[in-house]
Amino acid sequence: MKLLKQLSVLLGIILLFTLFNVAVYFSVTVRLSNNFSDATQAKMIDVGEFLPFREESDLARTETDFTLEGELPVLDGAAALVPVYASVINAVYPESSVTYIGGEFCDDNFYGENFAPDSKMQYKNTVRGYTAVVDGDTDILFCAAPSAEQKKYAEDKGVELEYVPVGLEAFVFFVNKNNPVENLTAEQIRDIYGGTYKNWKDVGGANRVINPVTRMEGSGSQSAMNAFMGDREIAMKSPFAITGGSIGFSFRYYMDGIVENSQVKMLSLNGVYPSAENIRNGTYPVIVKFYAIYRKDNQNENIKKLIDWILSDEGQTLIEESGYVRIK
Amino acid sequence: MREKYFRFLLILVLVLCITVTVVHVAYDVYAYGHCSIIQFIAKELW
Repeated sequence: MKLLKQLSVLLGIILLFTLFNVAVYFSVTVRLSNNFSDATQAKMIDVGEFLPFREESDLARTETDFTLEGELPVLDGAAALVPVYASVINAVYPESSVTYIGGEFCDDNFYGENFAPDSKMQYKNTVRGYTAVVDGDTDILFCAAPSAEQKKYAEDKGVELEYVPVGLEAFVFFVNKNNPVENLTAEQIRDIYGGTYKNWKDVGGANRVINPVTRMEGSGSQSAMNAFMGDREIAMKSPFAITGGSIGFSFRYYMDGIVENSQVKMLSLNGVYPSAENIRNGTYPVIVKFYAIYRKDNQNENIKKLIDWILSDEGQTLIEESGYVRIK
Repeated sequence: MREKYFRFLLILVLVLCITVTVVHVAYDVYAYGHCSIIQFIAKELW
C-alpha cells in the first residue's frame, strides 16, 4: 500500500510537469520554432527578391534620362523599404555600383545579405541604419520617423539630420485570420495596449485574453506605435497573455505586399480598411510618412539631386509602383 | 520502497522536471523576443 502511494506521488509529479510542458509547447513553442535561427530571426525580408539589375527581381521599373555623375550616395533602409530604394538604384545607378562579398549574393548571414563595404546598396534595417547614417557610413536612409533614442544618438554625436518625406504608408493593426474581430477604433487599440481592455469580449470579440504584441524598441513600427499611443504608456502585460489572442502592428505594404501571410488579417480602424486607396483619399486614420534621411553636413551633392528626382513625377511613380503611396 | 530510497527518487524526479521546464520556458522567452510576430500570430490556434 505504501509502495503504491509512493509511486502515485512520483507519477503524479511527472504527469503534472508533462501536462504543463505539452500545453506550453502547443500554445507557444510550436509558434516560435520555425522563426528561430541565426538566418531567420532578423531576416524580415528576403533581400534576394529585390536585388537591382536582375530580371527576376520584384522591383518597380522605369525608364529615365536622369543620371548622377561623381560620387554615388550609399542607400540603406528599413526592411519594408528595400523595394523602394532597390528600385531607385535599379533605375538610376550603374550595375557596377552594387557589389557583394565573394562576388555573388548569398543570404546565409544574420541579416540575409552580403553587400560588400563599397556597395552603394546596403541593408542594415532601421536600428543599425540610423546608427550608420549618423556615423556617416550611409548617405541616405529610407525609414519611418526616428525613435527618441535615435534622435538622441544623433544629438549626442552633434549630427543634424535632414528628414525629407518621400512617400505615404498606413500604420496597421493585424490579428489571426480566425479572430472574429474585423474593426477597432483607435481609442480601443490605445485602451488595449494601455491595459484597460484585457479580453477580446471587451471590444466585441470572443471570450479570450488579449495578447498585445510589441516590437523591438527602435524599430520603425515600434516608434510609430509609440507615436500612435501619444501620452499613454504601453502597459506591462501578464506573462500568461502570451497564450491569448494576439494583436500586432506593422505597415500596410510590409504586411500586404512583402510578407503576404494569408493566416493574418489587417483590421479596419474606425471603420476604414487600410487600402492604398484609403491612404490616397486620406480616410484611413493613421497615415505615416516615410523619409529619405541624410546628414545636413554631408557634402555629396548627389544626395539632393537624387532626392529631388525621387520627388519628381518619375520618382513618385516609382514609389507608387513599389507598392507605396506617392506624397506628391 | 524504503523511505530513504523514495526521497532520493522524489528529489531526482523534481530536479529533472523542474530543469526541463525551466529550460523550456527560458527558450520560449528568448525566442519570443526574437521571432517574427507575423508568423507568431499566424500560427495562433483559434
